[in-house]
Amino acid sequence: MKVVLRLLAGPAGAILLAFVLAAIAMLIAGVNPADGFYWLFRGSLGGRRPIAETLVQTTALLFPALGVSLAFRAGLFNIGAEGQLLMGGLLAGAVGAHFAGPQWLTVFVLLLIGMVGGGIWGGIAGWLRARFNASEIISTLMLNFVALSLAGYLVAGPLKSPLASGAETAPLLPNGWLPAFPSIGSISFGDTRLTISILIAIATAIVLRFVFTRTVFGYELRAAGEAPEAARRSGINMPRMTLLALTLSGAVAGLGGAAIVTGVLHRFNTSLSPGYGYTAIAVALVGDLNPLWVCVAAFGFGILEAGGLMMQANAGVPKDAIRVIEGLIILVLAARRYFATRATAAPI
Amino acid sequence: MNIALRLRGIRKVYPGVVAVDGVDLDLLPGEIHALVGENGAGKSTLANIAFGAVKADAGSIEAVGTVGLVHQHFELVGRLRVWHNIMLGREPRKGAIVDVDRARSRVAELAERNGLAIDPDAMVEELPIGVQQRVELLRELEREPSVLLLDEPTAALAPAEIATLFSTVVQLANRGTAILVVTHKLQEVIDYTTRVSVMRHGKIVARYETAQTSVDAIARAMVGGELPQVAQREKTGVKPCLAVRDVSAGVDTTTISGLSFDVHAGEIVGIAGVEGNGQTALADAIAGMVPFTGSIELDGNAGALRHRENIAIVPQDRHHEGLVVNWTIIENAILGRQNLPGLRKGALTDWRAARTDAAAIVERFDVRAASLDVTVKTLSGGNQQKLLVGRALIGDPRFVLAYQPTRGIDVGAAALVQSRLIEARNRGSAILLISFELDEILALADRVLVMFRGKITGSFTGAEIDRGKIGRLMAGLT
Repeated sequence: MKVVLRLLAGPAGAILLAFVLAAIAMLIAGVNPADGFYWLFRGSLGGRRPIAETLVQTTALLFPALGVSLAFRAGLFNIGAEGQLLMGGLLAGAVGAHFAGPQWLTVFVLLLIGMVGGGIWGGIAGWLRARFNASEIISTLMLNFVALSLAGYLVAGPLKSPLASGAETAPLLPNGWLPAFPSIGSISFGDTRLTISILIAIATAIVLRFVFTRTVFGYELRAAGEAPEAARRSGINMPRMTLLALTLSGAVAGLGGAAIVTGVLHRFNTSLSPGYGYTAIAVALVGDLNPLWVCVAAFGFGILEAGGLMMQANAGVPKDAIRVIEGLIILVLAARRYFATRATAAPI
Repeated sequence: MNIALRLRGIRKVYPGVVAVDGVDLDLLPGEIHALVGENGAGKSTLANIAFGAVKADAGSIEAVGTVGLVHQHFELVGRLRVWHNIMLGREPRKGAIVDVDRARSRVAELAERNGLAIDPDAMVEELPIGVQQRVELLRELEREPSVLLLDEPTAALAPAEIATLFSTVVQLANRGTAILVVTHKLQEVIDYTTRVSVMRHGKIVARYETAQTSVDAIARAMVGGELPQVAQREKTGVKPCLAVRDVSAGVDTTTISGLSFDVHAGEIVGIAGVEGNGQTALADAIAGMVPFTGSIELDGNAGALRHRENIAIVPQDRHHEGLVVNWTIIENAILGRQNLPGLRKGALTDWRAARTDAAAIVERFDVRAASLDVTVKTLSGGNQQKLLVGRALIGDPRFVLAYQPTRGIDVGAAALVQSRLIEARNRGSAILLISFELDEILALADRVLVMFRGKITGSFTGAEIDRGKIGRLMAGLT
């Protein structure tokens, strides 16, 4: 019994359990689970194109998940990654439609602008919390709707491309496009949507890990999150930390928005994100808010996102079932703490 | 003779430690039995087993009637009123509705009968700790237990409150209740109990009739040898260091008004007073945690107090205000000092220096831990406190604010902390000591200031220090 509990307390055991539960759900829905899982994994990992698509989804989730992790580590519940992602994409798209220099410089500037956009959006919530003690949970959530409406208005009006039929900005000038992922030996990714943004995302994770573990700022940020009163009494300026953490958290999410605009869409429209900013919260939590584990978690969720379509088309499993699996994983991981305490029960 | 509570062969193992190792203990009706021992000796675990909150791995428990336990860390609902806490779960009812009037009068009658003054309608979270404990005690007494266990009942009480508590306890014993007091304040053992059992490493190593033993004998049995000596104070120069002038501030319901005093380099100034008379407001004003009027200067400079290399603080509540319990010893060792030049290289924390630093604290302050990389929550309370004090004193700060620096730790650890404070004083630190234990103030302070209702009502230096006078001023008498 102890062994089973200990297995379930680990992330691998939790994911296994989630899949068992998902299989039961498929049986109830009248689908052969073997069929469902076959298409899920074939559609996400079965070849060059599926893998590329999985990595595109991984990237889209990874940036906001890293942003969310940063805020959570500071004890701030930023659930506004969706809005910060949109604002980063919007700003990058608006500037990129008109600005072009040499490719590397242009891409760099557009990504930076995306960070500014997301940073401002996160910073608003940070300022409200620091200045008026307004709950960041509510303000970040509400700012998601403000961002969506604002972006919707701008792309339907002032920023609308005269050439496009739908509500979107003018396309980026080609020098603002992120370069495709480099070929590995004879395998080329030129015909897929995969770009170097996955590398930028992983680099961001490594930088964040370095910031958390090695810098004084990261130390203070973790102190603020782990024990706010002890942090305050140790001389850490808590309002400043709140503002900085939410700004940076938004900036990382905004970088993700700019990466989608420059890497995938090459323009901005409000369907940029099917809810990446919300799924990112789950990704961050599954990854234990540890940047490197968040990368692994984002890949796992990327498999579900990319494979879900194939599962739907070929096994007749509705794509919503993917949401059920995601939900089950989160549920089981949340229960992990319970299993973990049962496995090592020592009430002192 | 009949026995109220009989424990036989009690054993309890936690991962990596045998907390209680084959204990036999009898409690007789009408006796006050002291259970003493160092931190981690297994006293609290044994009390919790006797109460039924913790299940023993082996052994038998036989009790006549009900057993009540007053916890070391009170288990009260802060947002409920006193009467409701006492009657919680057994509220008198009128149909489906709580009969508030009856509950209130039951509580008033109970308080009256036991000589414990209390306002049944006060909100528990707004009460000082000493009064909260009265609520906890009354809650247990309401069940009319035949055995009452008190776990560190006086840890946070002022001398007058301690006397009140024990007069209640003696009354209870006279009415036939069997009482077990877990404590490490040996003078209380001598003053108030009838028998003593000493625990060490989970076993009972000595049993005495209180009348036939002494503080020294009990202390030697507790530590298993001779007691560490407290450091001698040396003559030090007297330059003014901290100057407090006309300071007024408020924290929650307590305020201070118009306080003025100095702390000199090489001097320990002790603030004597019953908890809740403004000590927290004073400490928070000095630490810059609350707004205040007036001036507080270090060497004539108000800004210098905000520089962490000059000032070190041992906060009141080690879990909440001092330590990050999920962090390692190393991470905790540098909290508040993370920006000092020796611990920081540019934007980075110098973890190598931090490790060396933590090792020095652990060594000098005798923090017992498996390694520097274990989390602080795995340490016993005494070791956590030694880490907290060590972190404050390691850099020889100019000014130290020590708030209850030996709270809840055993005699050996307390002697070590007190020695290190005196050594810091001998090296020229100015130390402001806030403690609710008058004995500690008298043992350490060069000068004693008495605080009552937010004002300083007395000041005693050197030979003028007089326990009786200070005690009366603490109680608001003149």
